[in-house]
Amino acid sequence: MTQDLEHKFVSELEANQNIVHKICKIYTDCPDAHKDLFQEITIQLWKAYPKFRGDAKFSTWMYRIALNTAITLYRKSKRHVPTNKLDPVIYKVKAVDYDDTEEQQLALMYEAIKQLNDIEKALVFLYLEDKNYYEISETMGITEINARVKMNRIKKKLKNILNP
Amino acid sequence: MKELDLLKKDWKKREKNLPKLSYEDIYKMILKKSSSSVRWIFYISLLELGLGLLIILFYHPNIGKQIQLPGFIDFFSYISIPVLLYFAYRFFQNYRNISTTSSVKDLLESIMKARRTVRLYIILNLVLGGLASIITFIYVYVDQQGGWNIFVQKAQIKDYLIIFVVAVIATLIVLAALLGIYLLLYGFLMRRLKLNYKELKKMEV
Repeated sequence: MTQDLEHKFVSELEANQNIVHKICKIYTDCPDAHKDLFQEITIQLWKAYPKFRGDAKFSTWMYRIALNTAITLYRKSKRHVPTNKLDPVIYKVKAVDYDDTEEQQLALMYEAIKQLNDIEKALVFLYLEDKNYYEISETMGITEINARVKMNRIKKKLKNILNP
Repeated sequence: MKELDLLKKDWKKREKNLPKLSYEDIYKMILKKSSSSVRWIFYISLLELGLGLLIILFYHPNIGKQIQLPGFIDFFSYISIPVLLYFAYRFFQNYRNISTTSSVKDLLESIMKARRTVRLYIILNLVLGGLASIITFIYVYVDQQGGWNIFVQKAQIKDYLIIFVVAVIATLIVLAALLGIYLLLYGFLMRRLKLNYKELKKMEV
């Protein structure tokens, strides 16, 4: 019975692992930390799995637990050397230099997202995952209106980081 | 914002660059132990409740007979057993309600609620423990002087004041040290949690 459950869980997670990797990418900044967070999310998913009823999609159910783990449960380990926070001034120079290259623009966007706080990262992540505001508000535990307002603020904040 | 929409497209494209774990890799992961902050909070809370038990045992009339403590200290120690049980029950109830399937905000709230219970217990214990130790200090001191009758005969107001002040200061120093360690530990574990909770709360205004 347990083996059945294990097999079912591991297969489903294997098929949906992209979601977890993407969260790890946003919340960590080195391969070691990425692995650590993936590990912790997997444990939390597994712990919650017996109560998973299957009336929701496995992936939808994953979003919550994975984000909750990244935001609340995961303890950043001391042994990871944090990468230096990039100075906004450097961004400015770069933005002027490579303004028209899409690739550069994207790289800057990813770096800018790294500068957001945990909650803002979660909103951006859900937005990038094409979740609507209802889903975002349900996952975060805020109202839909507040989710919209916050998202607009984050967009402005990102814009400021990119073009100060 | 066109940049974010650009990013959205790229975000999907990047999926193929993500690491890929095998079935075995993931299977190995589910066998490992969690190192989450909630787990640590759970252990520390157990430790705190255990500390309460130690204090109860310490002041228990049948233990430490070399010092005869006044009767109302016994009363303290008896009443603290149901108090401990009540707090332990509340804590386990709260802890059970912590669920990773709640929304981010509910999860943060449930963790803080579980912590608050134990914090209240610890504060109560420190205050009562402080009071009990002031009384014990005075009691033991007077006892060493030959008991109440002799002490009362010889003592002047100055003597009363001195032993009272010394007892209070000694207790305060011990309490401050304990509280300092406690807050440090607490702050270390709860900092990120509180920060994120504040951020969510900020959205509501």
